[in-house]
Amino acid sequence: MSAAHAAGVVGASAVQVIAVAAGGLVLLGFMRKVRARLEGRVGAPILQSLRDVRKLFRKERIRPDVATWIFPAAPVVLVATVAVAAVMTPLITTQPAMSGGSDLFVVVYLLLAGSTLLALAGMDAGTAFGGMGSSRAVMIGALAEPALLVTILALSVTTHSSNFPAIVRATLANPGLIASPARLFAVAALLIVIVAESGRLPVDNPSTHLELTMIHEAMILEYAGPDLAMVTLGEAMRLALLLGIFVNLVLPWGVATSTTALGLVVGLGALVAKIAVLGGALAFFEVFMAKLRLFRLPELMAGAFVMALLGVVSGLVVK
Amino acid sequence: MLITLLAVPLSCALLSGLAPWRRATGWLGVASSLGVLIGGVVLATGVVGRHAASGFHGVLRADALSAFMVIVIGVIALLATLQGIRYLDAEIAQGRSTRRHAALYATLVQGFLATMLLAVLAANLGVMWVAVEATTIVTTFLVGHRNTRTSLEASWKYIVICSVGIALAFLGTVLVYLAALHVPGHGAHALDWTSLVAQMHHLNPGVMRLAFALIVLGYGTKVGLAPMHSWLPDAHSQAPAPVSALMSGVLLTVAFYAILRFKVIADGALGAAFPRTLLVVVSLLSLVIAASLLLSQRDYKRMLAYHSVEHMGLIALGAAAGSTLAIAAVLLHILGHGIAKGVLFLTSGEILLVEGTSEIEHVPALLSRRPVLGGIFAFGLVALLGFPPFSLFVSELNMLRAEFQVGLGWAAVLSLVCMAVIFGAVMTHGRHMLLGPRGTAAPVMTPALVAVPLIGGLVGCAFIGVSAWPLQTLLHAAAHVVAR
Amino acid sequence: MTSSTYASLLGLGAAVVLLCAVMTLWRRSVGAIVKVLAVQGVALAGVALSIGIDHHDATLAVVAVLVLAAKGVVVPTLITRVVRHDPASRETQPLVNVPASLVAAGALIFLAFAASRSVTALAPTATGRLIPYGVAAMLVGFFALATRRKAVSQIVGILLVDNGIALVAFLATAGVPLIVELGASLDVLLAVVVLQVLATQMRLRLGSLDLDQLSELRD
Repeated sequence: MSAAHAAGVVGASAVQVIAVAAGGLVLLGFMRKVRARLEGRVGAPILQSLRDVRKLFRKERIRPDVATWIFPAAPVVLVATVAVAAVMTPLITTQPAMSGGSDLFVVVYLLLAGSTLLALAGMDAGTAFGGMGSSRAVMIGALAEPALLVTILALSVTTHSSNFPAIVRATLANPGLIASPARLFAVAALLIVIVAESGRLPVDNPSTHLELTMIHEAMILEYAGPDLAMVTLGEAMRLALLLGIFVNLVLPWGVATSTTALGLVVGLGALVAKIAVLGGALAFFEVFMAKLRLFRLPELMAGAFVMALLGVVSGLVVK
Repeated sequence: MLITLLAVPLSCALLSGLAPWRRATGWLGVASSLGVLIGGVVLATGVVGRHAASGFHGVLRADALSAFMVIVIGVIALLATLQGIRYLDAEIAQGRSTRRHAALYATLVQGFLATMLLAVLAANLGVMWVAVEATTIVTTFLVGHRNTRTSLEASWKYIVICSVGIALAFLGTVLVYLAALHVPGHGAHALDWTSLVAQMHHLNPGVMRLAFALIVLGYGTKVGLAPMHSWLPDAHSQAPAPVSALMSGVLLTVAFYAILRFKVIADGALGAAFPRTLLVVVSLLSLVIAASLLLSQRDYKRMLAYHSVEHMGLIALGAAAGSTLAIAAVLLHILGHGIAKGVLFLTSGEILLVEGTSEIEHVPALLSRRPVLGGIFAFGLVALLGFPPFSLFVSELNMLRAEFQVGLGWAAVLSLVCMAVIFGAVMTHGRHMLLGPRGTAAPVMTPALVAVPLIGGLVGCAFIGVSAWPLQTLLHAAAHVVAR
Repeated sequence: MTSSTYASLLGLGAAVVLLCAVMTLWRRSVGAIVKVLAVQGVALAGVALSIGIDHHDATLAVVAVLVLAAKGVVVPTLITRVVRHDPASRETQPLVNVPASLVAAGALIFLAFAASRSVTALAPTATGRLIPYGVAAMLVGFFALATRRKAVSQIVGILLVDNGIALVAFLATAGVPLIVELGASLDVLLAVVVLQVLATQMRLRLGSLDLDQLSELRD
């Protein structure tokens, strides 16, 4: 690997992490704004999330007495794992760092590792709502796992590899792959799983203030100050990264196939545009959807599982 | 010739539907059945020993087997339509039906006959399928004719289960079509039975195995073979008696005729082993289930329906044996069972009419209270249980002989055990119904219109049992169509 | 039509047919299930039309239009008539609950692929490889028929079985002879009419379309 290439890769990775971090917070604000406008309100400014995080970093650090090391460690691990995943994912370029090890399974499970620790931290605070939120979140995670696994299998079956950059390159080279039944089913299942994992409607309402209806918010109810800032940042980055994975699997155009500066700029622009469109669409549909009752969630996840299964089967049959 | 045979019941159907029911409509139906019977006899004399007749641009075809089935349809239709006059008159008199409703019944019965004729006269397996599906649709309304809760339940179950079965049979037909298309040099006539038989040794065995299994499962549902028989007791017990006679006597065997046609092709493509095993399994299952459920029956019409399941099992076992003797015995059994079961169902319909209940324990002492009716019922049971001189004795004996000859002796012994159990069960129920003290009422005579056809049917059954002449050559020719 | 677009179109159509069959197990509202059935009819017609265009077979194209009319429009309309009196009717308690039904559907799909191997071996073309989709749709239809409690769901199950078999017929043999196809379509239509009449009678006589009410005849 030449020095210029190495510099390009490092630069691309840095750009990806910063884009995901800052862009994630902006994305949160953007989706909130879209929802507010559709509901007839003005809504908070788009950059409000950035200001909130900055404000939280300056606040006093408060932790529950009964909390162990898990409580302060969870936000840090969350941000760290998401950052590593952001470095490895082919968001802007198809040659991110560690692209040889950039397996779709690895990326997805890095994202889930942080939320697992967060669930433990929710119980660590020793409150009733924390435990309730954690158990619900873990239930959703457990139901979404099989669907997620089979979806990744469905995505890899047409390209005979689960290496993420390889999948993106194959889709770029063969656009007809997008309309194949395997890819369509896998994408539909992936959408459902992403909505479940990032805690959006119809699985979880991120803007609810009623504790008994919370799933994710209840887990982080006891966080304050810089810890809360890290959690918010980590969650925003996760959402941005999940949406980025989705758009690059479905519509990979604009992703740079090299590490030249021009390619990176174009890739960044394309990524921002695509995530903005997807985020806006998600926010748009959230206005019209109600939250699913908790015992209906297994049906939704089973449906995603069967669709992913159909995708695998189609991928094996239709060459 | 063939198209006129079909036109007879079709035109009667149209005419019956035109006006509210009168006795004349009933006699018109009888005339149509007589026409079908005579047509069948003429057809039989035409095709035995000569080429098969064909008609209507090759869509219809009649060989010895078809002609025999037409005769079976004609005989039982004659009995059923004769009794139908009595049934409809009584229903209208008792206020349970209107003249319009009765006209609908008459139309549907004629339509039923027409679709059954189409099924046995079809040259193309696809057309045969269409005809069998049409019988399901026509008979659903007939089963629910009495408009009670139980008959509604029976007709719902009937159409749901039989539609599913028929759909499976369609898949089997499609698979046979696929196998035929892949034989080099085939094409436009791929579903035509004669050309399939000509090419049967070249058909892909894997596909044919799947296809024949689907055919047995699918058409077997309409035959009433276990485990697809659950519609049969409900439908045959809730339908009006003449319809039960037609369904139990003929429709089951028309569906079995379809299986026989496919068996010829399957034997050629797969050898005799696989079709034989499949049919043996299904038949033994039917026999065992019928035997185990007959003893606990409380309704005599349901008892007769389960008895049909047993006889269909026996027929399937005979067909599994597959030799000429076996098939000839099977065909004779089809005729004999049709007549005897038809007579019994019609008699039970008359009993239901005069006694008002279909429970066994509420109709005791029939021989003392209604001697003629009781006598006919008793002789009918005797015929069905396979006693000489009735023809079922001959056909069952020959089927057992053929099974031993072919190596299915163990299955024959099992069937004998089941038949013994059924014998005991039917005798018990028959004893409850027929014997007993008369009580104070005077014995009631049955009208001649009812008794004469039924007695005639039983006499005919005995006649065929004693001397197989007029049917000897026809049976042999028909058996040769199936067993090569 | 290039062979790859043809193959993708066929694959998409067959997959949509199977997906619709699975969705009838997923959705609870009877109205939604009927809409899914209509979509399945349209997909089936699309498959027939693609095969007809590719084989330059005019009769198959006519059959495709027939299928579209019958299975995409007429049959769903007839079924909607049954539920018209109870528009909020939902299948709330099937014999097997929804997630388990969906997992069972997945197992049935695998079973269909295993069982149809001999058939696909005989016809290894692009169309032949899709035959297991039809068999799977048929098996899912059987499952729906056996585990649902409403009369309408049983009608839908029968139609799913029919659509699955029709898909197999189109893919395996480019349709059956025209006379058989016409007869089969007519039979299916008449069967649905009969079922609709019976269901209406059931509603008038028993007060509901719940099949648990039909339990008087037993041994």
